[in-house]
Amino acid sequence: MAFPIISVTLASLAVGTVVTFASGRYARWAALVTTLVFLLEIGVMMMLFFAAPGPLIGAVPTGDAESYAWISLSWLHINYSVAVDGLSLALILLTGILQLATVVYSWTESKRPGPWFGLLLLTGLGSVGVFVSMDILLFFLFWEAVLVPMFFIIGYWGGPRRRYAAIKFFIYTHVASVVVLVGLLVMAFYSGAGSFDYAAIYAAAPNLSVVQQSLVFVALLFGFGVKFPIVPFHTWLPDAHVEAPTGGSVLLAGLLLKLGGYGLIRWAVLVLPSGFLHMDPLVYFIAFVSIAWGSVVALSQRDLKRMVAYSSINHMGIVLLAIAVDSSLGLMAAVFLMFAHGVVSGLLFMVSGSVHHTYGTRDIASLGGLAAVTPVLATMIMIGSLASLGLPALIGFPAEFSAFLATWVAIGYWVLIPLGILVVTAAFYLWMMQRMLFGPTKGIPLKVHDLPLAERIGMGILVAAIVLFGILPALLVNLITQSPIRGF
Amino acid sequence: MSGILASLFGWAFLVPLLPALAFIVIGLFGDRLRRLEHGGWIAVGAAFVSMVLAVLIALGEMASPDTYTSLSYTWLSLPANPTFPYGFSLVIGTLVDPLSSLMLIVVTVVGFLVLLYSIGYMHHEHGLSRYYAELSLFLTAMIGLVLSNNLLEFFLFWELVGVCSYFLIGFFYEKPSAASAAKEAFLITRIGDILFLLGIFIFFYVYASDGPAGLHWASSGFLFAYGNLPFLAGSLGANTPLLTIAGLCILAGAAGKSAQFPLHVWLPDAMEGPTTVSALIHAATMVAAGVYLLAMTSIFLGFTPTDQFAIVAIGGFTTLFAATMAVVNTDIKRVIAYSTISQLGYMVLAVGAGFAMVGLYHLFTHAFFKALLFLAAGSVIHAIGTQDLFKMGGLKRHLRVTGAAFAIGGLALAGIPPFAGFWSKDDILSSVYSVTGSHPEYWPFLLMAMAAVFLTGYYIFRVWFLTFSGDRIRDPTLPTPHEGPWVMQVPLIVLSGFAVGAGLLIFIPGFANLFLLPGGVTALGIPPTYGTTDILLSVLGVGLGGAGILTAWLLWGNGRVFQLPEGSVWSSARKVLVNRYYFKVAYDAVGAKAVYSVARAADFVDQFVMDGTVRGIEQLFSRISERMRRIQSGVVSDYAAYVVGGLLAVFVLLLLVGPYLVNRVGGG
Repeated sequence: MAFPIISVTLASLAVGTVVTFASGRYARWAALVTTLVFLLEIGVMMMLFFAAPGPLIGAVPTGDAESYAWISLSWLHINYSVAVDGLSLALILLTGILQLATVVYSWTESKRPGPWFGLLLLTGLGSVGVFVSMDILLFFLFWEAVLVPMFFIIGYWGGPRRRYAAIKFFIYTHVASVVVLVGLLVMAFYSGAGSFDYAAIYAAAPNLSVVQQSLVFVALLFGFGVKFPIVPFHTWLPDAHVEAPTGGSVLLAGLLLKLGGYGLIRWAVLVLPSGFLHMDPLVYFIAFVSIAWGSVVALSQRDLKRMVAYSSINHMGIVLLAIAVDSSLGLMAAVFLMFAHGVVSGLLFMVSGSVHHTYGTRDIASLGGLAAVTPVLATMIMIGSLASLGLPALIGFPAEFSAFLATWVAIGYWVLIPLGILVVTAAFYLWMMQRMLFGPTKGIPLKVHDLPLAERIGMGILVAAIVLFGILPALLVNLITQSPIRGF
Repeated sequence: MSGILASLFGWAFLVPLLPALAFIVIGLFGDRLRRLEHGGWIAVGAAFVSMVLAVLIALGEMASPDTYTSLSYTWLSLPANPTFPYGFSLVIGTLVDPLSSLMLIVVTVVGFLVLLYSIGYMHHEHGLSRYYAELSLFLTAMIGLVLSNNLLEFFLFWELVGVCSYFLIGFFYEKPSAASAAKEAFLITRIGDILFLLGIFIFFYVYASDGPAGLHWASSGFLFAYGNLPFLAGSLGANTPLLTIAGLCILAGAAGKSAQFPLHVWLPDAMEGPTTVSALIHAATMVAAGVYLLAMTSIFLGFTPTDQFAIVAIGGFTTLFAATMAVVNTDIKRVIAYSTISQLGYMVLAVGAGFAMVGLYHLFTHAFFKALLFLAAGSVIHAIGTQDLFKMGGLKRHLRVTGAAFAIGGLALAGIPPFAGFWSKDDILSSVYSVTGSHPEYWPFLLMAMAAVFLTGYYIFRVWFLTFSGDRIRDPTLPTPHEGPWVMQVPLIVLSGFAVGAGLLIFIPGFANLFLLPGGVTALGIPPTYGTTDILLSVLGVGLGGAGILTAWLLWGNGRVFQLPEGSVWSSARKVLVNRYYFKVAYDAVGAKAVYSVARAADFVDQFVMDGTVRGIEQLFSRISERMRRIQSGVVSDYAAYVVGGLLAVFVLLLLVGPYLVNRVGGG
């Protein structure tokens, strides 16, 4: 790629963020323009990428990427180095879609719109940075940079217990970040790479002994896993979601959890194959526990948003399972699943928010018959739920199908555990719909309006993605598998 | 002529596409199309054109039976590589062969007639555009299922018809019972579906890893294609545990969809949906998809002997099991629902015993006479507004068309010649009998199926007598009944025609082509032959059915009401039957109570154990941060701005100034 499109994208997002912060009442327009430009840049990125797929993991001379020496010491090289492959491009596309949907959905936000839209963009900027960074320092800066806007989004625009939730979120993820940093530094220094550059570390990592690799892998698994989140380090998630404003929840579930998945694949699984292989039983175990735990606990939730949050734990558990099977199909499925979960959980958190401000509560048991009162909102809830429980023709199915097929090929009848849990997942969504949407109307305030236009469009964007990639999954699969990660 | 017809096969995708377009148009604009019955006429029109195309396609298949595939789209593909040696590409598209064109006729004809009937039947309901949109989507998915060219595509549409069924069962969603029944149907079929998916995985694995090069699921993508047959047939004899498990998984999926024991409980409750939906989805098409799946699997993939026995056992047992529950039910629709379960059992029995085409023959005739029975029941409900048999009576004088239609449907169901059901049911019994020599273990299930013949005649004519005979309506508060409009009567008459003649069609050589096995092989039992034992069996079957009808007349004819003596063994047996052998209670206890308790317990652990252990550490941190916060004052969002500015400044500094400084210092 001759044209430094990645750096241009980062720069335009940064400029857009600053402008949005500064433009007060017009912030929404600034945010929208920034996002549209961002989407355009994603398009350019894909065109360039498909013209010459690469850079390839560990196989590319750093000069080919957008790489500039940043800090050069005799014993340490730190570069500004950014690159994309299918893995990161799919998630950048997800970022663009979610950012657009969130900006549109919260179009009428009146509580300090400047900072609100600015922080939304900043979250996107940080995420993109994480997805493109090919240098430990750069990666870590972006990684930390994402926490800050989310902390403020929850802490200022959130619900009644927002401070508690924001601080809990910050502490959990921050502790995890420290562990990640330690793991990455060990990789950089103990392997003898003498550089923070991804390609250099990738090349040098086999120098680590198997024990070292395993230890570093476990550290990274914990650090990235908290973001996933994996059971038992997941309890920050329901609290953060319940208190977060809708836009925050969308980005939190849609993007921030994906940072964990991306980090684990990029910095642990691909770099430390033998450490991963030794620790694979642990990964399987955590994945199974998370899948089962998320789904079963979701069944008992009364708060719609909390239920969706627990279903996220279940779905990210399936992502972890797809990673654990250690095959190209599994890896593809993991990325596809992250994308799918991003748009589906985005939609589900939007409907949770809309239910809350339409009816004044998200308590499933105290509502009823919403389908008759607000049919559009009810339809969105149905689409989100059906997509989340893996209905064909919607995005979740091809992703889960690939993941379970890969699991079956890898470990045989164990696949019955996650497959069986699918029944529980279906059960809590259907039960929620039965109680909340159907039956006689209940808990309906006097004046109720169906979804406002901005929210309709915001959700519509996600529904479009859910249906498009559900019917034509090959579009996404081709993007993901375009790079020769592990021989795609 | 056949050349022109054959050129149609490439256009087979239009058959599902038309209802799909109707779905989109009605879904978007249905509410504004008041004149067109909120889109109802659009749905009818689309279904009609689909039906015409389907009939033309079937005529083409009759003229030159063969397999035609078209419209290939790579849905999902992944090249083989060292970490995943089973690279595959899943190509979806349409596959027309004799079997699928037979199914096409069933789906589109019944679909069109039911939609037409709906114009009259549903006229007074709310949410019509939703109804017609969902029904059109169902037709799309059902036709797609029939035209699938491989197992995974089949599964895709299989799930889609399931979700359409979910929404249509819950059409009257304000009723809690309807919402609950919809959920129950979805969840119970989902149990089967998950095992079905595992079955697909196993078949994939077996054929991808053991198959000769070039015959992966993979490269062909045509698990159902005739071209694969030689290779697949080679593995039929193998009774490997893996294939047996795969077959049992397929059976589980089919049992869920076709409401076979023990996954049968959802179908009677599915009667909460509109009667038209019951006729189309829960009698003629979707529930038969399970049988279709079993038949396709037995033809193209093969079942091991263990599987075959399991299928025979499930099917044979279900015939009798469901029929006993039909005997005592007081709801006109539920009796017919149990009857459907029982009849599907016959089809499963036939497929299991190795007579897939005979099972499909019964599927074909059953679709018409069962849809007829449901629509006739709908006509009764439309006229008097109740489903309770004991409130009805004497309706034959008011509803002549309906009464006659129901009687024809009943005779077909009871297996009285020359009505459609006789030929196919008789064929099943004599076919299964013909293999009891080599498979004596089939005997008990054949006897159960025989016993069910008697009960079938009894329960369906119990309904007829309770509804139509006698001289008065038992509940005097009901309105004076009158027949529905022509749109309701025409489907009744047309379906009556099918219920009389559909069974005989098979004796026309051209039509029998639709039952040819791959490669043009004639299937066993098609068309039925009549040797001495067959005739004796036929006489026995007709005698049992007739005895059932006679018993019904003795107990319920002419307005009689039969009551079991209180406190006897019979009345406690009746109680068990009314309570559906307590299966529903048991499922609720496991599903609703046990699982929910586990979930509550898990939630408790989650909140107080897992979260609690880390909360201690966390509180320490938050206390510190609270103190930090107290030192400062101001608006939090301002801080956000500061932090952003600071971060950006740090970036710029590091980016520009950092290297320069460090290099100077480092470089010395």
